[in-house]
Amino acid sequence: MSEQKEIPFITVEDLYVNSHSRVGLQIINSKASFGRKIRERELHRSGLALSGFVDVFTYWRVQIMGNTEIGYLNTLPPEQCLNSVTTVLGFELPCIIITNNNVPPHELVEVADQNGITLFSTPLSTTTVIHHLSEYLDTVFAPKTIIHGSLVDVYGVGMLITGEAAIGKSELALDLIERGHQLVADDVVHITRLGMNRLEGAPSEVLKHHMEIRGLGIIDIRRMFGIRAIRGKKVIAIVVALEQFSEEREYERIGVDEKFIEILGVSLPLVELPILPGKNITVIAEVIAMNQKLRDLGENAAQEFNARLIEKMQGPGKH
Amino acid sequence: MIKKTFRIGNQHGIHARPAGQLVKIASRFKSSIYISKNGNEVNAKSIMGVLMLEAGYGSEVVVRVDGEDEFSAVEALQHLIEVEKFNEE
Repeated sequence: MSEQKEIPFITVEDLYVNSHSRVGLQIINSKASFGRKIRERELHRSGLALSGFVDVFTYWRVQIMGNTEIGYLNTLPPEQCLNSVTTVLGFELPCIIITNNNVPPHELVEVADQNGITLFSTPLSTTTVIHHLSEYLDTVFAPKTIIHGSLVDVYGVGMLITGEAAIGKSELALDLIERGHQLVADDVVHITRLGMNRLEGAPSEVLKHHMEIRGLGIIDIRRMFGIRAIRGKKVIAIVVALEQFSEEREYERIGVDEKFIEILGVSLPLVELPILPGKNITVIAEVIAMNQKLRDLGENAAQEFNARLIEKMQGPGKH
Repeated sequence: MIKKTFRIGNQHGIHARPAGQLVKIASRFKSSIYISKNGNEVNAKSIMGVLMLEAGYGSEVVVRVDGEDEFSAVEALQHLIEVEKFNEE
């Protein structure tokens, strides 16, 4: 559908700045390793590496040292402690986060300074830090893509409208806005995969809630319709593909079998909608949204209707 | 105009999926196509109409076709109903 755009890395500085509101990292020593790159969403608890077992040490990940690690280092005689941190910090670590306001032994700070590694401190517990940082890193490293289409929140259902250029995606979105629904993005939809099976759509920073209407030009939906007409992001629940009506093509008439489309490995329900003059696509789009809500609740009108019909036809005296 | 009677041979009768196939095939022809059971006649190009017949297993339906391609239309419908049995058991 379109090319995948991945962010290959963030720097330690990005982590520090962007996670500030979640974990409030404090710099213990210096910004020495602020330029180092983080390429993975995983975090690593230094743990056993401190005891000298570094065979499977995932040193390239952000290192977390909690009560266990700092407690362990404090039990070691100074020389052994120095040995231990020298071994671990001899790797190209991006940075070390010390949790629970633990005070690092001076050997750790000294070796970190020598090797240019930033030490952070946070009052939060290890579990909490891992949780918040994972959430942030998940978003950063999540699979992303850009799709040509419009995303509208219709009765709370995130509806991605696709179709070839000039088929009327923006016009449908505009019509839906006029009827009280909310625009998320027009023309360019940035899609991020959340976890394994949710796709969230958002507008691009520059375009935001602007829209191009052929023959008129660029309009500002927020200014024109007000704050209630827009939405920052929305999880996509259904894809509506607008198509030029063709005599040759056969369209869905029953709806017992659902169609799906795959985006970033996530399967989404798909409705292919033929465009015909005089057909009220906007009302149909609203009905699609409502039908999807019913289906999400396990109610499939077509399937239930069919089950009743089959039962009735098999009843007595029906031949 | 051609009129022909067919017997429904699939276990579940003309439920949603067979009705979809029937309408799909009927819609390919220019002729007017009607289908009836027990004297109730509906347009064979209308899903809801065809479903309304409640044509279960073993029931008889009468297909009435009128138009330039009536012969091939009847042939196609016969194939679907009696030969393929809607590709169902």
